[in-house]
Amino acid sequence: MSLFGDLLAPRYLIWLLQGFGVTLALSASVCVAGTALGLALCCLRETGGRFAEAGTAAFVGLIRNTPLLVQLFFWYFGAAALMPVGLTAWLNSPHSLALGPADLRWPAYETLAGFFGLTLYAAAYIAEECRAGLNGVRPAQREAALALGLTDLQVFRHIALPQALQIAWLPVVGQYLNTIKNTSLTMTIGLAELSYASREVETETFLAFQAFGIATLLYVGAVAAVETAGHAVARRDPAGAARR
Amino acid sequence: MNVAVITDNLGYLLAGAWPDGPVGGLMLTLILSGASGLASAVLGLLLGIALAMSGGRTRRALILGLGLFRAVPIVMLIFWSYFLLPILFGFTIPETGTVVTALSLVGGAYLSYAVAAGIESIGRGQWEAGLALGFGRWQVLRVIILPRALPAMAPSFVNQWTALIKDTSLAYVIGVPELSFVATQVNNRAMVYPAEIFLFVGAVYGCLCLAVDRLATLVTRQRRLPRAGRT
Repeated sequence: MSLFGDLLAPRYLIWLLQGFGVTLALSASVCVAGTALGLALCCLRETGGRFAEAGTAAFVGLIRNTPLLVQLFFWYFGAAALMPVGLTAWLNSPHSLALGPADLRWPAYETLAGFFGLTLYAAAYIAEECRAGLNGVRPAQREAALALGLTDLQVFRHIALPQALQIAWLPVVGQYLNTIKNTSLTMTIGLAELSYASREVETETFLAFQAFGIATLLYVGAVAAVETAGHAVARRDPAGAARR
Repeated sequence: MNVAVITDNLGYLLAGAWPDGPVGGLMLTLILSGASGLASAVLGLLLGIALAMSGGRTRRALILGLGLFRAVPIVMLIFWSYFLLPILFGFTIPETGTVVTALSLVGGAYLSYAVAAGIESIGRGQWEAGLALGFGRWQVLRVIILPRALPAMAPSFVNQWTALIKDTSLAYVIGVPELSFVATQVNNRAMVYPAEIFLFVGAVYGCLCLAVDRLATLVTRQRRLPRAGRT
């Protein structure tokens, strides 16, 4: 076996590209859902009273102090055992959602478990970044708004949150990059994403250098693209940039 | 909840096949964490100093190389070292060595930024004062800058170590029998209580991470108190 031996057959390139497609689709949906959930958690923690604060803090601590791999195993193996039998069967059976011309197929169970686990993980980190952003807003801003007659909720919604999001934007982009990399862990529960595909190609062809090389380049490309886009958004937003 | 599945397999979860076979389970997780934690600290310190002290082309090349390590999933890096290390060294490396190499490189890459930032945070005046006293650049770094910069970097190191403890679970992908791997083995054997097994394993990792965190706060507080008393 030589290091720079043969090129990969087109068939295997297609495997890798399909895996990359799964990685991108999973990353994108986890980023969207994780951001929504993370924001909700952050708002709940800041405005929901002592009970909500303790609850969200415990959730975030739990997620952040255990390995993502163990969490994925828990959602894949463990959650199925804890759920009522009817629900497990329903999740495992195919459903289709007809949206006009598009016919969305129901994802496989490992996709659901992977999506769910990754979303909770990303949300916990994003919630913390947003909280750090809120803490970065100067208290005088709040006092000024209260003096103008705004209520607590209005201050949070119109004064604190917009500024916090600007401060938190680049750290949140960092979490998006982590999410892209974290999707590689779903190969352990059988999701055919890029790492899984590269391993498959390697075991079939023994061309480890090519298989891992292409997969690595695709990951680096995706991470670099999202990072560049994130910085471009931050730069187009002068108010946010000025504060940094 | 069924606790028996944990208590029956506790020995295996904690130590793997040891003492009849190779070390595994929690014990191997601790070994992997310790080794890669130490190696990544050394590597991060060296690379961070290189990053802070170099300029121009060397610095740009370093930033590019370190960025590459941070852009690639750890799973891929483990695959790479699994495949490349035997070619580089000409003999087979045990899987644990493969994992420690990959984790040390990632941890070192992340830490080097923190170390460089810590060094650069010390004001220019300190450098100039040292140079004016007749010290060389490296002497200033060793005698004046690092003693002040290192304590400030401590939180980054602790964060990276807890991240490393969690990342040792990725050794699973090449079949190293650490805690996560033996947990799936127990799960496959028992078949019926997956939730209990993975909740227990998650709790063990959580305790480890919290312990490192607490220990670090204790150590840094003990160091700082007498100094605060003197001034």
